[in-house]
Amino acid sequence: MDLLIQIIFGLLAALIIGAAMMVVTVRNIIHSALWLITSFFGVAALYLVLEAEFIAVVQVLVYVGAIAILILFAIMLTRHISSEGERLLTSRWWLTAIVALGLFGAVLLPTLAGQTWNIPLPTGPAGTPAPLSGVEELGREFVGQFLLQFEVAGILLTVALIGAIVIAFEERSRRRRVLTLSEEYTLRQRQQATAAKQAPVATADVAD
Amino acid sequence: MDIQRGNIIVMDRRTGKLRAGQGLLQGLKVVWDHWAASFRKNENFTQIRGNFTVEYPDERLQLPQAYRNMPVLLYDDESGHELCTGCYQCQRICPPQVIHITQAKDPVTGKMVPAATEFIIEYDACMSCGFCAEVCPFDSIKMDHVFELSTADHDSLTMRKAQLNRPISYYTSIAPDLWEGVKAGAMKKLQGNIKRRPGVIGMAPSLTEKIKARRQELAEAAAAAPPAAAPAAPAAPAGKLTPEEKAAKLAAMKAANAAKKAGGEAAPAEAPAAELSPADAKAAKLAAIKAANAAKKAGGEAAPAEAPAAELSPADAKAAKLAAIKAANAAKKAAEAAPAVAAPTTGNGTAAPTDEKAARLAAIKAANAAKKAAEQGNNE
Amino acid sequence: MHDVVNQLINTTFGWGWPGWLISLISYLLIATLLFLIAPFQMLFLTYFERRAIARMQDRVGPNRVGPEGIFQPMADGVKMFTKEDIVPDSADKWIHLIAPCIVVAPTMFMFAVVPWGPGMVPVDLNIGLLFFFAISSVSAIGLMMAGWASNNKFALIGAMRAVAQMVSYEIPAVLSLLAIVLITGSLSIVDLINYQGGLFISTMDVASVPDFGLGWFIFTPVGFLAFIAFFIAALAEGERTPFDIPEADSEIVAGYMTEYSGMKFGLFYLAQYVLNFLLCAMTAIIFFGGWQGPGVGWLYSLAITPANPEGGWIFNVLSGALGVFYFLAKTYIFFFVMVWVRGAYARLRIDQLMDFGWKFLIPLTLVNIFGATIWVGLTRWGAAEGLAFVEGWSPIMRWAIAFVVTLALNLGTYLYLARIYAESQSERARMDDEVLERLTNVA
Repeated sequence: MDLLIQIIFGLLAALIIGAAMMVVTVRNIIHSALWLITSFFGVAALYLVLEAEFIAVVQVLVYVGAIAILILFAIMLTRHISSEGERLLTSRWWLTAIVALGLFGAVLLPTLAGQTWNIPLPTGPAGTPAPLSGVEELGREFVGQFLLQFEVAGILLTVALIGAIVIAFEERSRRRRVLTLSEEYTLRQRQQATAAKQAPVATADVAD
Repeated sequence: MDIQRGNIIVMDRRTGKLRAGQGLLQGLKVVWDHWAASFRKNENFTQIRGNFTVEYPDERLQLPQAYRNMPVLLYDDESGHELCTGCYQCQRICPPQVIHITQAKDPVTGKMVPAATEFIIEYDACMSCGFCAEVCPFDSIKMDHVFELSTADHDSLTMRKAQLNRPISYYTSIAPDLWEGVKAGAMKKLQGNIKRRPGVIGMAPSLTEKIKARRQELAEAAAAAPPAAAPAAPAAPAGKLTPEEKAAKLAAMKAANAAKKAGGEAAPAEAPAAELSPADAKAAKLAAIKAANAAKKAGGEAAPAEAPAAELSPADAKAAKLAAIKAANAAKKAAEAAPAVAAPTTGNGTAAPTDEKAARLAAIKAANAAKKAAEQGNNE
Repeated sequence: MHDVVNQLINTTFGWGWPGWLISLISYLLIATLLFLIAPFQMLFLTYFERRAIARMQDRVGPNRVGPEGIFQPMADGVKMFTKEDIVPDSADKWIHLIAPCIVVAPTMFMFAVVPWGPGMVPVDLNIGLLFFFAISSVSAIGLMMAGWASNNKFALIGAMRAVAQMVSYEIPAVLSLLAIVLITGSLSIVDLINYQGGLFISTMDVASVPDFGLGWFIFTPVGFLAFIAFFIAALAEGERTPFDIPEADSEIVAGYMTEYSGMKFGLFYLAQYVLNFLLCAMTAIIFFGGWQGPGVGWLYSLAITPANPEGGWIFNVLSGALGVFYFLAKTYIFFFVMVWVRGAYARLRIDQLMDFGWKFLIPLTLVNIFGATIWVGLTRWGAAEGLAFVEGWSPIMRWAIAFVVTLALNLGTYLYLARIYAESQSERARMDDEVLERLTNVA
């Protein structure tokens, strides 16, 4: 059983890393977004292996169902970005590489080095509540112990939402609306009617 | 709900009242009523509910008499004679040009008979406009009601006369009133045409026993009066000549005369008038040949003798045209006193809309050319 | 299934296979069964829809192939399979190929948590409901891929519309379910169904109610409003008329399916109908008790279950058959309603769709969540949660008061929102007229 899980974990890890590599190496930006989705899925599967079903499902719901779609939307609505043949590496790729390696060394290496691997599963006495993975536990903790963090995150999101609305808001009177066919017809009729009415005094109104 | 056709129904839009989805529910109610009512048959078209479907292969609606699908040819049940005379009216008017007619000829005299030996309609390209039926002066073409004509290939939709023939009784069964309107005139014209049809020409080929009976009748008639009938038969049609025939004949005569003059010798005495051919095409051909011969003689040296060879070609009219053209060329060449190099080229051989006409024209040209040649020859 | 396979292999044959192998076999069997059932559901639903809509339009519908045309979908399937598969020259070949698979896969996944009868659920996830909606949102990516890879304007427009619509209507759908989840206190679909035993009143709210399997959520004001909102959102999610703007055939050919032919097109169709089936099934499960119905609970209590190993196997069969019958009957009734709505209403414009979703459904469902909290408080809380005044009331009294309060709240909100919405729509029409007026004057 352990071996089976090891194998599954290995496959999933390979999928996640491979997909992530494809994200940064593929030239077509849409393809890279799709590889990113593959990577998200791999992570969700990894959560499932860890028996954190709720987190796995939320990973799919939020990352795949919302964020990835947003990314795709953004790419597709942006002109000329999805064309192929763009250069993969900029002229200062070595600088980026140094920064990335530095960050990796500074942040991840100590974490990885200080990690004790292969901790045996905690075996509490029978009847111990399951670890924090269910919806109910998460919910209780959110409105209990982690209330402040929860509220801060909520306010941040609300602010972002309001900001988005402010940016996107456009007064209706200023909006250029696409007329429907029937409206165009009405418009043309009205224009003709006005033209017929104003024909005798047309020259007087030009200055207006 | 019963609704008289043509009445206007004013719908209550319920504006101003409480709008909380009643409109949506009303819409659902309407659809539900239709659904519930659809399990009974809607017989009456003043009803707005009930199942309207006619389950086609099992049930069929009565087609209106004037319904038209594809043209067919009628023949008389009693005499077995087809109403078609091969007048080409339908062929001329047909917008997609899918009608092809071959005129019948008397096998003895070679003259035209008011009947068609072959009548082809390409159903696959026919557009069912019904012009042919409308224009037909003999009420021979009528529009059929059969519409299940699908085939796997185009070829089987090319209908020949045998497939197009329908008895009048069939037409009266699908459109009795329409036939009643034209019956008297059509039958009268048919009687007139039958008189001009020798032998079994113009009888529907499918009616074999009728044809057999008619052959027997003819044979008996021939046995009864052999000497009297023989000379009378060819003489009768010779009297009436269509303008085309006349024109062709005239052209031929002219050509012959011109050639005669040019040669300075007496042309063969058998003038074209002597053998009054019924088909103007043949006449034209003959005239052309004669013109060519005459021109040959006029030129002193023999022009190549292809012209007569043309009489072997299947299409008489075409051959006549060619011959005439050749004759004209030969005559021209003769006029230039050039030694004949056998090259009757095709420069002026563009296909005219009707072959007979072209043949006539060519014959006239040939005659003119021959005349000129003769004049030049005289001058020399 | 696991129990049955285990019984068969280890007890009857005595082979002593390990547990994981038994699990694997049973899951494979279930998956095979579902993969067989899903396409047949699709075939049946296409036939069902065509017949029903034909009746609504005073026609007969397909009735030639087989008795009453029952084999028409088979004939269509054969046609789909034998058609040429055309890929546009300038299409992105791989994505064009993968897109239909990505659209179909989630719909098959969703079957994993759908209970068909008592004890007949493939996997009883404790987050089943969330799983269902999380997975359903994945197919949006497939649609997007299809639209983009086809390299066709119509396809891209259709995909954009589909995704915009799915994303905005997922919110009211999930919010309306949130009210139900608040009441049941669980995201498990099996719990949800178990909650709906009883007669008009759920046995979980008032324990003394006889269990006829009729304590459905639809009978509560909160459940009713949630049902309306959820069903409308389901119509939008399943791209049914009046929300079929992603594939509006009179405007953009066939939306994201424009450049697909043959079996790839068939796969989109399959996904769509299977999704519709699942949404109807979900409506039946969440608001109409799923397999709950008179007799099922009683039969199941006599059957062999982990709780009652002494039961008779015949009752397993009977309760299963009756449960599946109830479940499918409810599901097909909802599909009939979908067809009915399709027959009745015209397609919405995209701005009307967005208006309706964001300005009407979402406020309504938010208020409904508030109603759900009131319901929970009045029926279940006591002095411990700070509601001391309910202590003296009898359960039926508490239920009745909760019913009246939530009914008043929901009805008032509905009428108020409907008025505001109607006013805003007419205001909008008026302003549109003004724009037209101004344009006229400028010209």
